Amino acid sequence: MYFAVLEGLRRFKIPHKFEFISIISLYAQWIRDGRLKVSSAWNVQGLKFTVQDPCKLVRQGLGDTVADDLRFVIKQVAGEDNFIEVWPNRSNNYCCGGGGGALQAGFKENRRRHGKAKFDQLAATGADVVITPCHNCHTQVKDICSHYQGNWETTHLWNWIEKALVMEDRSREGKNG
Amino acid sequence: MIDLKGLRRRVKAEIEKAVPDARIDYCLTCGLCVSGCPASGIEGLDPRKFLRLLVLGRDEDILETNWIYSCTICQRCRYACPMGIDIGRIVYEIRGMRPREKRPPNLQRSCDLQKQSNSTGIPNDDFVWVVNDVLEEVRENEPAWRDLKAPIDKQGAEYYLNQNAKEPTVEPEEMVPLWKILHVVGIDWTYSSKWWDGANYCLFTGDPEDWAYVVRKQAETIDALGCRYYINTE
Amino acid sequence: MDKPKGSVLVVGGGIAGVQAALDLADSGFFVHLVEKESAIGGAMSQLDKTYPTNDCSVCIFSPKLVECGRHLNINLVTLASVEDVTGKAGNFTVKIRQAPRFVDPDRCIACGSCSEKCPKKVPNQFDLGLSKRKAIYLKYPQAVPLKYTIDSDACIYLKRPGRCGACVKVCPTDAINFEDREKSFEINVGSIILATGFRPFDPAVLDFTGYGKLPGVVTSMEFERILSPSGPTHGHLKRPNGKDEPKRIAWLQCVGSRDINRACHGYCSTVCCMYAIKQAVIAREHASWDLDTHVFYMDVRTMNKGFEAYYSRARKEGVNFHRSRVHSVLPQPPDQGDGLILRYSGEDGELKEQVFDMVVLSVGVETSPEILELAGRLGVRLDHDRFLEASPLSPVSTSRPGIYACGAALEPKAIPLSVVDASAAVLESELLIHEARWSETRKKEFPPERNIYSEPPRIGVFVCSCGINIGAVVDVERVCRYAQSLPGVVFAQTNLFSCSQDAIERIAETIREKGLNRVVVASCSPRTHEPLFQETLREAGINKYLFEMANIRDQDSWVHRDDPEAATRKAMDLVRMAVAKVRRHIPLPYESIPVTKAALVVGGGVAGMTAALALADQGFPVHLVEKGPQLGGNARTLQKTWRGDDVQPFLHDLVERTSGHPGITLHLGALVQEVSGSVGKFSTTLSSGTSVEHGVAIVATGAASFIPRSKRDEKWRYLHGQHKNSVNLLELDRRFMDDPDALSHLKQVVFIHCVGSRAEDRLYCSRMCCSRAIRQALQLKKLNPGMEIFMLYRDIMTYGKREEIYLEARRKGIIFIRYDLDSLPRASLDAHGKIQVDVRDHILQEQIRLHPDLLVLATAAVPREDSGELSQLFKCAVSADGFLLEAHMKLRPVDFATDGVFLAGLCHYPKPIEETIAQAKAAAARAGLILARDYVPAESITASVDQTRCVGCGVCQEVCPYFAVKLDEKNRKAVVDKAVCKGCGVCVASCRSDAITLLNLGNQELMSQIEALMEDDPEPFTVQELS
Repeated sequence: MYFAVLEGLRRFKIPHKFEFISIISLYAQWIRDGRLKVSSAWNVQGLKFTVQDPCKLVRQGLGDTVADDLRFVIKQVAGEDNFIEVWPNRSNNYCCGGGGGALQAGFKENRRRHGKAKFDQLAATGADVVITPCHNCHTQVKDICSHYQGNWETTHLWNWIEKALVMEDRSREGKNG
Repeated sequence: MIDLKGLRRRVKAEIEKAVPDARIDYCLTCGLCVSGCPASGIEGLDPRKFLRLLVLGRDEDILETNWIYSCTICQRCRYACPMGIDIGRIVYEIRGMRPREKRPPNLQRSCDLQKQSNSTGIPNDDFVWVVNDVLEEVRENEPAWRDLKAPIDKQGAEYYLNQNAKEPTVEPEEMVPLWKILHVVGIDWTYSSKWWDGANYCLFTGDPEDWAYVVRKQAETIDALGCRYYINTE
Repeated sequence: MDKPKGSVLVVGGGIAGVQAALDLADSGFFVHLVEKESAIGGAMSQLDKTYPTNDCSVCIFSPKLVECGRHLNINLVTLASVEDVTGKAGNFTVKIRQAPRFVDPDRCIACGSCSEKCPKKVPNQFDLGLSKRKAIYLKYPQAVPLKYTIDSDACIYLKRPGRCGACVKVCPTDAINFEDREKSFEINVGSIILATGFRPFDPAVLDFTGYGKLPGVVTSMEFERILSPSGPTHGHLKRPNGKDEPKRIAWLQCVGSRDINRACHGYCSTVCCMYAIKQAVIAREHASWDLDTHVFYMDVRTMNKGFEAYYSRARKEGVNFHRSRVHSVLPQPPDQGDGLILRYSGEDGELKEQVFDMVVLSVGVETSPEILELAGRLGVRLDHDRFLEASPLSPVSTSRPGIYACGAALEPKAIPLSVVDASAAVLESELLIHEARWSETRKKEFPPERNIYSEPPRIGVFVCSCGINIGAVVDVERVCRYAQSLPGVVFAQTNLFSCSQDAIERIAETIREKGLNRVVVASCSPRTHEPLFQETLREAGINKYLFEMANIRDQDSWVHRDDPEAATRKAMDLVRMAVAKVRRHIPLPYESIPVTKAALVVGGGVAGMTAALALADQGFPVHLVEKGPQLGGNARTLQKTWRGDDVQPFLHDLVERTSGHPGITLHLGALVQEVSGSVGKFSTTLSSGTSVEHGVAIVATGAASFIPRSKRDEKWRYLHGQHKNSVNLLELDRRFMDDPDALSHLKQVVFIHCVGSRAEDRLYCSRMCCSRAIRQALQLKKLNPGMEIFMLYRDIMTYGKREEIYLEARRKGIIFIRYDLDSLPRASLDAHGKIQVDVRDHILQEQIRLHPDLLVLATAAVPREDSGELSQLFKCAVSADGFLLEAHMKLRPVDFATDGVFLAGLCHYPKPIEETIAQAKAAAARAGLILARDYVPAESITASVDQTRCVGCGVCQEVCPYFAVKLDEKNRKAVVDKAVCKGCGVCVASCRSDAITLLNLGNQELMSQIEALMEDDPEPFTVQELS
């Protein structure tokens, strides 16, 4: 979990030599640099996407910058017009209700009651796909979707990047070889 | 009726000792947190009532309520609180005040497992085996990806990548898309065969030494591999 | 010190700066008024209405602005900033930099042709970007100076010469000057007054407010513009999309205030609670539909005169109030609408949700970065809230001698206190440089007046559009044409704003050119604008009483908005009546009264002593009357200021200086018994038999502490007077001063706020008790940090910087429990005869029982019982609450309606000591305006007795409130003392023999008006129209 490491290194003054980064920031940087080529051409049926901004990554982690990166990547992958903003969002987003150990703590009814706010805001977008870049969020959003009978697909971001990959070099390689 | 013939606030004092900037007293009782918290109303509490219990010294209520596990320490209240009160931090401290045997067993277990290696408790060897097995399968079945890599313990790799324990345990195929992405980008990366889990459930049990232990182990591992960057996937 | 300079630099042309400039210029100093914008007016010029009187802001302000612009002794420097200040108090050298206007102000006649032709549109900052303006523009319609300016960032020509220049082609006076360049120059001044104001907090940094992302979210300043007739929607209440009318509006309080987290402003911005209530009330008035209004707040801060009653009225009229801060503003899902969702919690924790069309963010105030830089350049210190720092008991003095500050530059504050500050800063300047009074000023010379006796009436009529105030309803052109047809009228014309500088000049020019000898201006109220037009007549060389106003705005266009046709006819009627009256006007002499250069100050408390010293130090003799045996007043019972400064050493020094001052004659144990005369020449008899001659009077008689007497007030008793451990704030202060050790042993102390305030007969907040009680609680905590302290309150009124002691109190562990009027805390005795207090915790909703060793009551401040009698002696009004009533709540906060009489301190309204000091200094400055002169003008419109008709019945003598009419002992005929007569007309009405008349306002004049009204309408309604 991003925050666990970030805050852990900071709060307990743990010595380390590496630089700590989020995969989301890297996706965005790689796309901007042209190292990761993606296209939304696959999305012919116009699947609508929205996003769950993870508290630990955004509000408590890297702030709106990473939330903006997240949106940038989704728009590149799914098409500019196929992203639907969710409210509230970014650093002000609702917690999904699964974090903070809630998924493990076992108070299922309370957890789902907590998740109702999340369900309502996601449902209001009418999106077909909810991107959840955090594993806790992923599990919880999937659960509240089925519990409150939503009809979206809850997925990680990488599945869609894979779908949108443009494999120029690779196809050339194929022809040559 | 609350009879206040002498105000004893042991819990509040303990929190303030651990967190000098806890700001419990700052509360204006404005209600902003209540309106912004998805856990308001659960277990008959909300962030403001929770603070009020502390302020008025209702220690038993504070130590007993399970609201502290509905608060996900998401800090949305603190984000907009005019006084910047970090209720999440206070909840964290109170979780830690609970004796271990009274904590939600699965949550504590996740942390205990984490302290051994990862939150699901699969052996490190299994993790290595699953990664290699899945990789082998992709290379065999998908010709375009026959040179896909998933290095483990590659000394001096530029990037270290963590792996959430959920995938190798229950949905191993979910690991593949990221490998492909990293492959296309062409970075030099590696997993580690120990302390590879990106999660850390000890963040939520309330024992800072457990949390620190896991982070320290992860940090040592990455530094030992000599990686310049640690990519966190969540 | 060398002889000081006789001029003063005032920085900032908002209400505070304008007031300071006018007060200084009128009391013998030359003023350089430096303003960074192209016109003066500041924030007040952007407001729609002002609370609690609901006056139109720009309407009450405009006369002052115009006066500033025209004043012979005010040098208005616009588009300018202060670069550097060297020298010292009494003689500063100031370097000023002035940006180019690109329009020659001497040539520009503000015709607007340039702006009409200018092709470049940019967001209009005066409307906060809600509308567009051109690159060449006038800041606002009533701007002073009324001169166009080119925005160099927007102008096409200035960026690429040769590309445009449309304005040059159309300007009829060749006023455009693209070669204009920045100028730097130096001036010498004796003192400096900083009136640099504030800027509204920018809520874009608070993402959860939705500002900048959700179109329905606006700031309160933007909403002022939306309400304003000169705003982007011409005063029509619209959503920011400019199309729909909002049905439901919410106000969110404390945006950027009382927020140490994201906004980084711990202070309370003081003004937002009241402006939000006002906006809700006014918005409902604007809407022809049932507008639903909701205010979300933490504490409603109604801590000044008339505020609590205004709030109470707003609630009765249907404005909804919710004690709840809202976390986020969220949009409705698109399929449900484009409203804004507010989720909020009741005090019991119950969650509710409502949808609004608009959300107004009640943004706080802060100091702008330019001012922070300026403070750095000038070497004046800032406090931790980044306002200019003032000395605790010298509230307008900055850290650098000779530099004073006033208004919102010091602390967030409303208009009246800014005006008080301004006058107080003037006083400080006067104390510094009074030797140089009149040394640098110029004297106004009017041309000799034309003798018009032999001339037939040549009447000129000027019909004002007042922007759209009149013009949008009344067909002013038709009224103008109609005026031309009236007998005696030789000229008629319409003006966009008759009070604008160019229009004034045009009127004067027309009077000279056309040989007019009577003038009618059909516009607004003579109360605000008559002096301006009258002076114009004098400048044009005719007597100023040959003038009449027809109020076609307040009494016509504003009240008949729905019926333009009838309003236009009514305007014609009013003009016809004014013309009929002015035809009979004769020139009146300008009387004047020699000023008795002495002051009478009534009340020997802090206010009285401060005012007395302020005048005596300038060499004006003062008589200080105190009914008690010693000086000191209420402050004798005050231990500390809200900040914690000791009051007693200060008070001791004040008493010493007052008693030892050679210029102050003390009258202890004396009461004012009789007052006669008027401004400049009063004669007062004291109970001691002494008679005092004085030119001005300052009333500073203080207030008393509330003691429950009636049965109805019994609920406020809380065992006070029945149990030794129930005390009020004054008594607790006494204990602090007498035996603090005894207090340190207390285990539990309970304070109850608002004892007797803000309810029923006393529907006002006593303003000072919250801060005083909290300061005491902090003192107790200092004596014994383990002491448990509970404060039971309704709304905490720690306005402005005082908010910091509220936070400090909470940090020290003092517990605040809120109660409502319908569930008051109860105090009773337990089985051991000890006090116990029951109160309901507002959050847990549970009963709490407290066992205080000391119960402290923050009792209301109430008017002195005898203040009514005294005010009658000076013919001053008293408000419904029993406090003395100033001439105008916003703009004349220390003047009485009676000229030459001023007020200060608690007799005006409860207030803390530093505000009392500022007000006393302001009163002294205002009084000084009169004392600095040798003569004051007397009323010209006075009563005149026709001796042949007078039967000597003496009724007039009895009824005259000014003792101006006397029966001549010898021939038993009434005689009027013109110097004392105020022209009120009471004697005229009382005379059974029709022997008394008012000059220019007698029966003849009034009858001619009435006859004119009854005349056949030249454009009569047809029978059809009437049915």
